[in-house]
Amino acid sequence: MPALLSPAGNLSRCSKCGLPETYETLEFDTQGVCNICRQQEFKHGAIDWAARKTMLEGLIEEYRGKYDYDCIVPFSGGKDSTFTLYHLVKEYRIKPLVVQFNHGFMRPNLLANNERTLRRLGVDAISFTPNWKLVKRLMREALIRKGDFCWHCHTGIFAYPMHVAIKFNVPLVFWGEPSSEYTAYYDYRDDAVEEVDENRFNRFVNLGITAEDMRGMIESDFPLDPRDLIPYSYPPLRDLKRLRYRSVCLGSFIPWDVKRQSKLIMDELGWQGDEVEGMPPGLYSYEKIECAMQGVRDYLKYLKRGYARVTQMTALDIRNGRMQKEEANKMIAEWEGKKPPSLEVFLDYLEMSEAEFNGIVEKLVVPPHKPDFQTIQWGRRTPDFERWYREPKN
Amino acid sequence: MLKRRIIPIELLSGGRLVKTRGFHDPRDVGDPVKSSKVYSDQDADELVLLQIDREGRQLVALVEAVTRIAEYCFVPLTAGGGISSLDDAAGLFTAGADKVLLNSITYRDRSVLTRIAERYGRQAVVAGIDVREEEGRFVLYSRCGRQRESVTLGAHVADVVAAGAGELMIQSIDRDGMMQGYDLGLLRKVVAASPVPVIAAAGAGHFLHLKEAFDAGADGAACGSLFNFGDNNPLRAKSFLKNQGIPLKRI
Amino acid sequence: MSIGIVDVGIGNIGSLRNAVLSQGWDVVSVQAEDDLEAITHLLLPGVGAFGAAMEQLARAGLVEPIRRFAMAGRPLMGICLGMQLLADRGAEGGDAAGLALIPGQVVAMTHSHLPLPHVGWNEAHQLRPHPVLRGIRDDIDFYFVHSFRLAAGDATAVLAETEYGERFPSIVAKGSVIGTQFHPEKSQTNGLRMLDNFCAWDAAC
Repeated sequence: MPALLSPAGNLSRCSKCGLPETYETLEFDTQGVCNICRQQEFKHGAIDWAARKTMLEGLIEEYRGKYDYDCIVPFSGGKDSTFTLYHLVKEYRIKPLVVQFNHGFMRPNLLANNERTLRRLGVDAISFTPNWKLVKRLMREALIRKGDFCWHCHTGIFAYPMHVAIKFNVPLVFWGEPSSEYTAYYDYRDDAVEEVDENRFNRFVNLGITAEDMRGMIESDFPLDPRDLIPYSYPPLRDLKRLRYRSVCLGSFIPWDVKRQSKLIMDELGWQGDEVEGMPPGLYSYEKIECAMQGVRDYLKYLKRGYARVTQMTALDIRNGRMQKEEANKMIAEWEGKKPPSLEVFLDYLEMSEAEFNGIVEKLVVPPHKPDFQTIQWGRRTPDFERWYREPKN
Repeated sequence: MLKRRIIPIELLSGGRLVKTRGFHDPRDVGDPVKSSKVYSDQDADELVLLQIDREGRQLVALVEAVTRIAEYCFVPLTAGGGISSLDDAAGLFTAGADKVLLNSITYRDRSVLTRIAERYGRQAVVAGIDVREEEGRFVLYSRCGRQRESVTLGAHVADVVAAGAGELMIQSIDRDGMMQGYDLGLLRKVVAASPVPVIAAAGAGHFLHLKEAFDAGADGAACGSLFNFGDNNPLRAKSFLKNQGIPLKRI
Repeated sequence: MSIGIVDVGIGNIGSLRNAVLSQGWDVVSVQAEDDLEAITHLLLPGVGAFGAAMEQLARAGLVEPIRRFAMAGRPLMGICLGMQLLADRGAEGGDAAGLALIPGQVVAMTHSHLPLPHVGWNEAHQLRPHPVLRGIRDDIDFYFVHSFRLAAGDATAVLAETEYGERFPSIVAKGSVIGTQFHPEKSQTNGLRMLDNFCAWDAAC
């Protein structure tokens, strides 16, 4: 095992893709290659995708026509859920119920994409928008406890569709990409379908905080009705079992390929990418376009762990042989590590100063990384910045 | 090869889990059953549940919590806080605990420890030792840090081991909730003096602290604030420590 | 399927019961010979001394019925002390005869430098495949708590070995009988998977 303890600020990285040791669940093997790379090697070389496709066909037929909808497709409108919906409707002619959890930060281009996608495919869709006042309080608490303010979004996106499954009596739920594409909470090398269940929800989706945990954390200063947190709680297993639910990732049955899939939805649905804070415009325009707060999210990751989205995207490209490390490093140096303009909006929502924000984040830094709060420059605004929701001033 | 262990500590108070600083200022950190299930789903190696209330039916509440947790969590569970008799311990074992942790009673009547060890095996008995550093010396405290004990650290370690403790959990009251690292001086002293495994508790703020504790000889690293006030979970800790050459259990 | 768990006071069966229930199986408490009739699978957990445990089984009139259950090809799984009881003889608590379903003796673990009991997570090296190991990778860690170990009289009955100062059988299998020295109900995902595999097993291999 190579010696991997590095001096503060200088992180050990995967010898193949460059992801740093602070990346969650990353493990280096004796060659210094990370487990995410190894998982991808297995995915391309050892999984019997023909057999998986047969499994998918069997699964779809098992549920087809027996309920008011053949399945639920949780939908954010990003590249993954859009492709998932498209693939299931076009290739398998399923009748889906599209379920969207509106986290509150949907960008104008995304909304236009969604309207276009849903109309072109001809599907029924429901959208749920949670209580904004509660969302703001949840963001604050999650930021303080975890340095990740998106708790309401992570939990809402994965729990709410399960409530809908029960309410509408639609047992089959198709998610998009398996988590093993990006992390090792689940491993492609287990050669198993990733079950998107409560175990997975607790493993990493909810940041280790359930709705019941959160209740006690905020109720002393927030007028909380216990029912307020239902959309964020995973429904009881007995209700899901009674439904005979099956909740899986499409990416467990077909090999996930974001570049190919993004191009497909652009061509077939007119899906449009968008400029995203902290990323070189044009190059990864399909990535994470669905949320106006994505820049703050990435910024937090950068402060805590010393890397952000450019590192992740280039790592994917390096791993797939689409980019060299030198080019990646150049891109990272140029685009990563800037303060996103959305930070101003975020601080406004939470009525928090930047000093308070930095003070919170400082406590959450993951060693051996050490952020330098002083030298960070403002990044570029996206064209729709002025159209993002701002709280009325009075 | 026997693996080291990462052990989330859960403090029970008023039916909720709390986290303290220096054994004061409890802050709500969640629901006992839900949190335990989360830790179990996150591959924690073991769980420690300590009742810190001393008024009212606190042992009943502890037994209740253990019973409910045992329905969902299939990892070793240690329960403690106010145990003062063989019957108290028996109730917890029946409810589903694998080990019991004793602290205050070990200063007043060590025969209880012995009787529990005789009935359930010494591997089922953990002696919890809480310590403050005062004027350069380690001072032992019982009753959740409220009662100063006169016995020295070395003597007490020897006493509890002789009485039947199969494991020690050594907690620095000063470091509790501070997230500045374990008291390594204290830990090393106890490791050197103890023939049984030692679990380090109080102070972990990030994963390097866990490595420090293991390097200092701890068999287990107990963590409270680390997982409640940091973007951390046992799975990430495992990856980090594996990269540092410390093997933890493989699932 | 109906999963019986021997419940005659040789250890608390609560966790094992919860674990089996969590996998969706029906659980029945087995305290006398009659209870064996309706069940499809039998679990024999145990904590404590060999001699005392055999006495408890004898008092409940279960020694011969359990032997007959296993020899009739019905699936039986011994856990921890329960695995040791499957042996011919055991030394802990005075030399006593076991169920004699897995050839071998139970002896004290004899190494000078490592503390006893053997407590904690340790890996099981699999020696051959078996339905009860389906989906469980090699060298996975399980939770052990014991001071005695099986000295197998038949090497072909050893399914997996573990090392703690000495190599000892951690999983044994012969005919319709399985034994695990570790506690599957404390070993999380893989332990639960093994219990689930056992409950789904038709005793063929």
